[in-house]
Amino acid sequence: MTKKTIYLLTLAALAIMLLAACSANSTNSGGATFNGSYSPQNASSSGADPAGSAANESTHPAAQELTYATAKDINDINPHLYAGSIPATGMVFESLVENTKDGIKPLLAESWDISPDGKSYTFHLRKGVTFHDGAPFNAEAVKKNIEAVQANAAKHAWIKLSAKIAAIHALDEHTVQLDLTEAYYPALLELAMTRPYAFISPNDFKNGGTRDGVTGYNGTGPYRLVEHKTDQYAVFEANESYWGEAPHLSKITAKVLPAGETTLLALKKGEVNFIFTDDRGADSIDVQAMNQLAEDQNYQIVRSQAMNTKIIAANSSKSDSPVAEKAVREALWQSIDRETISMDIFSGTELPAESLFSSNVNYADIGLGKREYNPEAAIRLLEEAGWKSDSRSGIRSKNGRALSVKLYYDAASPSQKTQAEFIQSTAKTAGIGLELVGEESSSLAKRRATGDYELLFNQTWGLAYDPQSTISAFTAESSYLHTTKGIHQADELYGKINEVMVSKDEQSRQALYREILTIVHDEAVFIPLTNGIVTIIAPKDLKHISFKQTQYELPFEKMGFQ
Amino acid sequence: MKRYVLGKVVFAIPLLIIITFLAFGLNHLSPVEPAEAVLHAQGVPEITKELIAETREKLGMNDPFLFRYGSWLLDCLRLDFGSSYVTGLPVWSQLGPAFLNTLKLTLVSMAAIVGLSIALGVGSALREGRLLDKGIRGAAFLLTSMPPYWLATLMIWYFSVKLDLLPTSGMDAWQSYILPVAIITISYAGIYFRVIRSSMLGNLNEDYVLYARANGLLELLVTKHILRNSLQVAVSVFGMAIPVILGSTVVVENLFAWPGLGSLSVRAILSRDYPVIQAYVLILAVTFVFFNTLSDIVNAAMNPKARMDR
Repeated sequence: MTKKTIYLLTLAALAIMLLAACSANSTNSGGATFNGSYSPQNASSSGADPAGSAANESTHPAAQELTYATAKDINDINPHLYAGSIPATGMVFESLVENTKDGIKPLLAESWDISPDGKSYTFHLRKGVTFHDGAPFNAEAVKKNIEAVQANAAKHAWIKLSAKIAAIHALDEHTVQLDLTEAYYPALLELAMTRPYAFISPNDFKNGGTRDGVTGYNGTGPYRLVEHKTDQYAVFEANESYWGEAPHLSKITAKVLPAGETTLLALKKGEVNFIFTDDRGADSIDVQAMNQLAEDQNYQIVRSQAMNTKIIAANSSKSDSPVAEKAVREALWQSIDRETISMDIFSGTELPAESLFSSNVNYADIGLGKREYNPEAAIRLLEEAGWKSDSRSGIRSKNGRALSVKLYYDAASPSQKTQAEFIQSTAKTAGIGLELVGEESSSLAKRRATGDYELLFNQTWGLAYDPQSTISAFTAESSYLHTTKGIHQADELYGKINEVMVSKDEQSRQALYREILTIVHDEAVFIPLTNGIVTIIAPKDLKHISFKQTQYELPFEKMGFQ
Repeated sequence: MKRYVLGKVVFAIPLLIIITFLAFGLNHLSPVEPAEAVLHAQGVPEITKELIAETREKLGMNDPFLFRYGSWLLDCLRLDFGSSYVTGLPVWSQLGPAFLNTLKLTLVSMAAIVGLSIALGVGSALREGRLLDKGIRGAAFLLTSMPPYWLATLMIWYFSVKLDLLPTSGMDAWQSYILPVAIITISYAGIYFRVIRSSMLGNLNEDYVLYARANGLLELLVTKHILRNSLQVAVSVFGMAIPVILGSTVVVENLFAWPGLGSLSVRAILSRDYPVIQAYVLILAVTFVFFNTLSDIVNAAMNPKARMDR
């Protein structure tokens, strides 16, 4: 063994560990820090359904087969945990009810009754449904599944229903009764989500539950997982004994392609014929190249409605920071040019956002005042608040303290970095100095939970979860508690949030949401940037492309070639 | 000879222990709370303090540092690398297939690198200063200075899309090897052929070459002798190239969707999946030691003088 070897070995070990100790980038996770992800089933056909019947052999090798590119392996799609790919989980597993743009609709439960006190839900299950392994879907299976989820409650803190389930009883073969500790209006919405209240065959349980993993993936959904090669591909085939309308596509393959460049080339060659951008993928596909594909080859681009809002969360409770002051937050809001961000940074794949929730979110279409891009107004606000300009540095100051603020972004997201730099330049003209700090997403999550930040890139949970999940998160320490705690009506705000979650009638709910959203809008603690949308690239002759009420899933069972 | 080999192997053991201890210790110094990183990697949407405490307890992170290292080491001796923090699956079930995939890629590339380096090195040394030499060196310079990421994208576009000859990515058939192997070969052969060339040139001026030629030996035989002597340097270099390539395929694997060690290790590092990171460090260290020892032994076999030196 030579000295050289020892040197090389040590160097290699050191390099690896340095990466572990202070790595500031991540290969996955593109979008804003981290976020919920988990979501419901089915159906809003907001997507366009353009005609165009030019058949092309190369884009779909055999009839009724689709191969989509995914940046990451589908992983463990145990529906009671969160590691798996959501689109894949959604194909295989189903919930009791589904969230559609027209509200909650039946899925595995045909109907349900809610007791007058709102604390007891009785579900009448669909008859004749079986899991992919042939086991019957009945009241006993529902009870076992929900108990398996509840046995791991610590991991489901985000879904407030998990803390409110008191008991579940199987009344007869096809009736279950779910008892809550208190009335909770989003109960059905949360039951509709892809995870965790979805149903897997009890035969797949490990150690009598699912928290330690599962031995198979037999759901009741339109597709069965038939083959999975880790980090290579996963194959789904249509479930022939599906209880609902038989899916048109007989086979769907998820092919792992981590690099955006290769994905585009694979699309051109026809090795994959379908891609969609969830919140992670948007950064990796070049927009120009995408448009080019649609022009030259037999592909179509389909875009969804607004799915979520990208925001900058301002820490109102950090009393030694300028962002604790409302005027500073408002001034920053008005010094951001959202049109340019939408057009130049996202090439139109994200839309300018004017408030925390877009108007297609439930209870959010309440006409909040716009704070448009207006540098003069921003300057006026700061002047009035006593922030005097300093001609030397260009950064304003008050009582000897400079208007200099740290903005944290996800180092793995090129688009966040570009936005941060752009916002930094426009904020400077108003005299606000932004210091940009890129960090890895788990470290940003930690900052958010401990309140160790001034400004932070983030995003709302998404259509199916907004407003209730995002608003619940205002009171959760690991989420937005620090963002909202510093505003002077904070206690009033939290009171209203608790009230809306247990409210029983629609009218008072609307009124409460209006008040909640007005408070956080007036206080400007969530500075909106853009609305994220889902973009699909698919063969031109693929029909019935639509979206669900979430950016994380697609209703593959409805799509089909002519 | 036996004793020489044995000495090498015995020396490797403390070295491995030091490396794994360093890896373990540096992990320990990382400012990020590992339980939190693990939960984050598991996709848990809201990570509460209680959940972090529960996870720490479950993964045994509350035990003292030396105790954890000791029990890890003992388990390793029983060839039990533990279970991944993130997936709960045995480490070996994840790392094993990935290691084999990367090893296959590395060995095929290595064969190409050795062949190409020797051919180019001998060619350019024998025609030193002439057009062939200049051409080879120029081309190598140009190709090695191209970023592999960019070059690979161009090659996928040309060979897979435009000419439609090869798959863009994946490892489904033998054709899948051609592009990634080409990219790795270009990056390394362009450097290694210089080692052969310069050691050939050094040998060309040795006295034994002059005597051989003076004795009227066939030029082909002379070249054979020169090559044999020149290869001694190259053997160590090539020997070390295998573990180096093994540990640096991240870019190629990412681009060609090759399910190998590179992407797995980066993922493990980012999610603080310590059992996987430790096993990865150990594997890499073992391959370094193995190939270094192997090249020393080959050298010793080729040249008795090398045995006497130590």
